[in-house]
Amino acid sequence: MASIYLHNVGVDFPIYQAGARSLKKMLIAGTTHGNLARDAHDRVMVRALHDVTLEIENSERIGLIGANGAGKTTLLKVLAGIYKPTNGQIDILGHTTALINSSVGLNPDATGRENIILRGLYMDIHPRDMRERIDQVAEFTELGTYLDMPVRTYSAGMMVRLAFAVSTSFRPEILILDEWLAAGDAQFLGKAQRRMEEFVTRSSILVLASHSFELIEQWCTRAVYLKDGLVEVIGPVDEVVARYREDARAS
Amino acid sequence: MSLNQTFSDVSGQVVGRVAMLAPRPSRFVGAKADLGAGLVRSWIWTRLAYQDIKERYRGSVLGPFWVTLTNLIMVAAMGTIYSELFHVEVATYVPYIMTGILIWQFISGMINEGCSTFTNAQDVIQQVPMPFSVQAYRVVYRNLIILAHNAVIIPFGLALFKVPIGWNIIEIVPAFVVLSLNGLWICMLLGMLSTRFRDIPPIVGNVVQVLFFLTPIFWPLDAVPNMKQVLALNPFFAWIDVARAPLLGVTPEPTSWPILLCCTAAGALVSFLFFVRFRERIAYWL
Repeated sequence: MASIYLHNVGVDFPIYQAGARSLKKMLIAGTTHGNLARDAHDRVMVRALHDVTLEIENSERIGLIGANGAGKTTLLKVLAGIYKPTNGQIDILGHTTALINSSVGLNPDATGRENIILRGLYMDIHPRDMRERIDQVAEFTELGTYLDMPVRTYSAGMMVRLAFAVSTSFRPEILILDEWLAAGDAQFLGKAQRRMEEFVTRSSILVLASHSFELIEQWCTRAVYLKDGLVEVIGPVDEVVARYREDARAS
Repeated sequence: MSLNQTFSDVSGQVVGRVAMLAPRPSRFVGAKADLGAGLVRSWIWTRLAYQDIKERYRGSVLGPFWVTLTNLIMVAAMGTIYSELFHVEVATYVPYIMTGILIWQFISGMINEGCSTFTNAQDVIQQVPMPFSVQAYRVVYRNLIILAHNAVIIPFGLALFKVPIGWNIIEIVPAFVVLSLNGLWICMLLGMLSTRFRDIPPIVGNVVQVLFFLTPIFWPLDAVPNMKQVLALNPFFAWIDVARAPLLGVTPEPTSWPILLCCTAAGALVSFLFFVRFRERIAYWL
């Protein structure tokens, strides 16, 4: 059983660096979509998420869409437990595996096999357990002899294969994926989708952020459209995507 | 707010009940759980520490033994000149600075690298959920590995100058355990402060440099008989003394262990309170 509840969740980033004032002026001029505010100490804050209320149940696959700077990655990081929300309440049931960045924990000079173990550390998988499954992981990546080559020789897509294979080798209860997944080729995405479907039928949750509507439409059962840190719409994928497209055309 | 009250999403659809939300655990519980969860994940921080050292010396033939070699040369050079300067026998002076410098490098290494406990792990902290304390254990363990490399010259040095080793050499075990505990609170505290205020690391670096000269490491306490009582109160003298005295076959000053233990207790308390208060902010400060 896995579930996620967010109630009025907000995330404010304080800006400490010198020149925050001028930065504030610059931002207010309308160059980005972020919201700015000042806290009690007169510090400049970037409001990345505001009043997000969301319930995700067992076996749901949620797609996150929105423009750059809408708060997609911040929301993923809140779900992953990386950022504790500055406002509101969050309740997550189930072990979370976060794939925010495909290269985290990879050592470019070590081989693919060594990196499977290494990457496993960051996914909270003991090297002993990882070693038992290394052949299965290797098979899933389809990287063949490349697994004995240093990872710095890999393409972005190959890195994605490796990272995805490791992170899903132990069935995650909640899997959080950022946009980089799209770097994989069609054949791999198909394979990854089959693996995800297998997971969610066994009551796991997937939250995926992507600019690829195709990917969202294929993978997700529900979509969330974020705009300027606020949830604009939640609902069936086609409706939410249509709304986002409308907005994008209008602006 | 009633527990059965429902809450809705923006479209007005009821998406949950307040009762579904578990009470948020207190910061104290969170901080304690973080330290525990980090400790039991020794398989993460031991590997990360080894990885750090491998990275640092990638492609080098001697690897971390370069520092050992540097120390050997420094001890030999300083031993010859300074023993004359302080009018001390070479046979007493060389073992004294050899052990003193190595212990100081261990302590100062944890203080200096402690400043970058969290900033060095920025990528990990911002991408992957992991207990923060893992990073502190990692810094302390890394410095223990470096110490082990440097310490290979100690048995030779002690044997060469026929230092009378006594049964109390086993005291180095509790000494290094307590020093490591101090390293842990230092890494947590300086790590957090340095993440928030980026001017802390250079300040700490300067202070550590000055402390090296103010602490009896390369000069014997007996060289300044008039100030001996005052200088023995320098807490860092106590930190060095508890590990150095047993290696030289003598008893530490009676004040050393009490001072060290007071530092450990006070430091751990302050550091823990900071961690309780600011743990959830670390990711925001990076």
